[in-house]
Amino acid sequence: MDFEVTPEEQELVEAVRSVLAQECPTALVRDVVENGSVPEQPWKSARELGWTAIDLPESLGGLGLGFTALGLVVEQHGGCIAPGPFLASVTQFLPLLLEAGTPDQLERFASPAGAGEVRGALGIDHGRAPQHQIGESLRARRDGDAWVLSGERFYVLDGDVADQIAVAARVDEGDGVGLFVVPQGAAETQRVVAADASRPVAHLRFDDVGVDPDRVLGAPGASARALSRALERATVAAALECVGACQTLLEMTLEHARNRRQFDQPIGAFQAIQHKCADMFVQVEKARATGYFAMMALAEDDPRRALAASMAKAAASDCQRLVCQEAIQIHGGMGYTWESDVQLFVKRAKTLEALFATGEAHRRRIAELLGV
Amino acid sequence: LKLHYDASTEEFRAELRAWLEANQPTSEETLADPMTSSAHMTEWAQRWQRRLFDAGLLVPGWPPELGGRNLPPVQQLVYHEEIARIPVERSANPQGLGIIAPSIHDYGSEFLEEKYLRPTLRAELTWCLGMSEPGAGSDLAALSTRAEVHDDHFVVSGQKIWTSGAHHADYCFCFVRTDPDAPKHKGISVVIIDMKAAGVRVRPLPEMNDREHVDFNEVFFDGVVVPRDHLVGPLNQGWSISAGSLAHERGMMWLNSASRLDGMVEGLLELARQPGQGGRRVGESESFRDAVARAYVDTQAIWFMGYRGFAKFARGEVSPEHSVLKLFGSEVAQGAALAATDALGVEALDVDYEGYGHDLTHGLAPWMTQYFQTYRMTISAGTSEIQRNIIAQRVLGLPRR
Repeated sequence: MDFEVTPEEQELVEAVRSVLAQECPTALVRDVVENGSVPEQPWKSARELGWTAIDLPESLGGLGLGFTALGLVVEQHGGCIAPGPFLASVTQFLPLLLEAGTPDQLERFASPAGAGEVRGALGIDHGRAPQHQIGESLRARRDGDAWVLSGERFYVLDGDVADQIAVAARVDEGDGVGLFVVPQGAAETQRVVAADASRPVAHLRFDDVGVDPDRVLGAPGASARALSRALERATVAAALECVGACQTLLEMTLEHARNRRQFDQPIGAFQAIQHKCADMFVQVEKARATGYFAMMALAEDDPRRALAASMAKAAASDCQRLVCQEAIQIHGGMGYTWESDVQLFVKRAKTLEALFATGEAHRRRIAELLGV
Repeated sequence: LKLHYDASTEEFRAELRAWLEANQPTSEETLADPMTSSAHMTEWAQRWQRRLFDAGLLVPGWPPELGGRNLPPVQQLVYHEEIARIPVERSANPQGLGIIAPSIHDYGSEFLEEKYLRPTLRAELTWCLGMSEPGAGSDLAALSTRAEVHDDHFVVSGQKIWTSGAHHADYCFCFVRTDPDAPKHKGISVVIIDMKAAGVRVRPLPEMNDREHVDFNEVFFDGVVVPRDHLVGPLNQGWSISAGSLAHERGMMWLNSASRLDGMVEGLLELARQPGQGGRRVGESESFRDAVARAYVDTQAIWFMGYRGFAKFARGEVSPEHSVLKLFGSEVAQGAALAATDALGVEALDVDYEGYGHDLTHGLAPWMTQYFQTYRMTISAGTSEIQRNIIAQRVLGLPRR
């Protein structure tokens, strides 16, 4: 048992960190937010260096390094609030394919997604209970061998830019869960004016969209387990990206507290500021430790994986709450300005709280799993 | 990063578990003669500690002559996990075994080691730790208990407070000021004081939970003569011993409190099944469910943070986890106890309970009592405010004023 990164894992972390520091400065994120630019980086590096394929089995052309390696990479992406398709494609779309795809579908969608040639997205209902975020707003019905989707999926990350979109829809049979992959263009999209404009979020409207049999993932009515397992991965990845963003917020805040002087001394010398920073550190440590446990539980397919995923998201939620609030508070008036980078990180962290169910919803799930 | 121990470690755990099962004191023994303080060495406690010593399971990282078996760090961790699972501690005098014995081992002369180390490990004598004073709490280095230095002895006068087990202890491992003119951290020494010596007086200081049960004391020294060879470490170097002695087993001491938090969470899960106010099951309350889930996540997080700290410790790196775990753990316990007292409402007012303090043979104390106990957790061994100072200044590198 080892809850700390090994030297090899640390090497990976350092490599990712240094590439991202080079290729994804905050100025690049700001350019996306302010000008709607679509930068090549850091997605290009992620593809070329194999980060997109890190958790894809070798049989599908991946590196097969497992979910822990992917989680560490995601955390670093959070540390620089990377824009681009990484989170949606590699941690949301790909896991669902891997859980439910046929060999043909794996070759057609998973391998190219792992290679970064296809960008995927995942459409679920983020407001629903964490274990099966289907809801009723999107339904699928049989039409011979094919299926027809009608309804809506809200707040789909990369929903209007991804090449392929995997959706979970309600079906009238079995466990009620159907999984489908549709190409961009099949649904009508509406870009959301999102709090965090560094990544696109869209609503998708399906007006009787036909889905060919080769785009049906698994068996509709017998897909709840595959969806839950894929959601566990997406949830833990969102939690880890949140931890990364919070870590940077903490570092920015410490830097500010050391340099900003009032009453003839650095404000970081005041106990009121020191205690806030200590509490931020505790929350970041707690969320990271819990996130790493979840990462291992998924990588090793531990029976506690559902519990672990909800714990990671709940802990990340507590963390971002305190860290975002105190980071702005300690930065003072400047922290509230548009030109301060603090706001960019805060908005990313808040977005990650809302996606894949809030901390409160995950605690409800935890209570349920504990038999309360 | 990996979740499981290797097979040989699990084999060790299984052997250890079987040994503990066969050798731990029975509840009949412990209930017949309960421990009443952290230096109350009952006969069964003495037998138990000696069994551990003889089996090399008292301080497993040490060699056999000191009650160990030179275990590597990972097996020591497993050892502490298993010890934390059983209802009795390794020693009825935890400060003697956990803090004072290692300090004597590290800093004491051959004479002191000969005279005190093995007898302490073999439960032949017990200790209290003389640190805090009325004028030196959070500011421990401000201590003013004076030890006049003479050629072959010291004369100690002053007062200690919060001295756990002083009324039962044979000796006091006592921090005293030997150079009043030096800067405050540089004039402190450690001496061993015989609690039966002339001029030592102990006044019990019962905690708010139960005036009949005493662990804390005030200790008064009035011209107490201490032989010169009872100085631990060099003269005026006591401050570094204080840092060193409290750091002992820090890599694993958190396990005890994590395990106790597990017990509280289990208690909350049990409480969820009970009928509550208004005839509903306690677990039907949304706010209670949220609080239980929160306590569960936070308690698990303490284990995970502890394991991360241990991994750093085992690799010889410094880890900040101790302060984080102390600070966070006490707050989690407080939240858990509050969730229970909220759920119980008026029922929480009944605090009838036979047991005492760290002795778990009677099971968990009533929730209101547990809640009161958490007041102590955020104060003792460095208040939450001091822990935040330590994190801010030593871990995060914020400037001192």
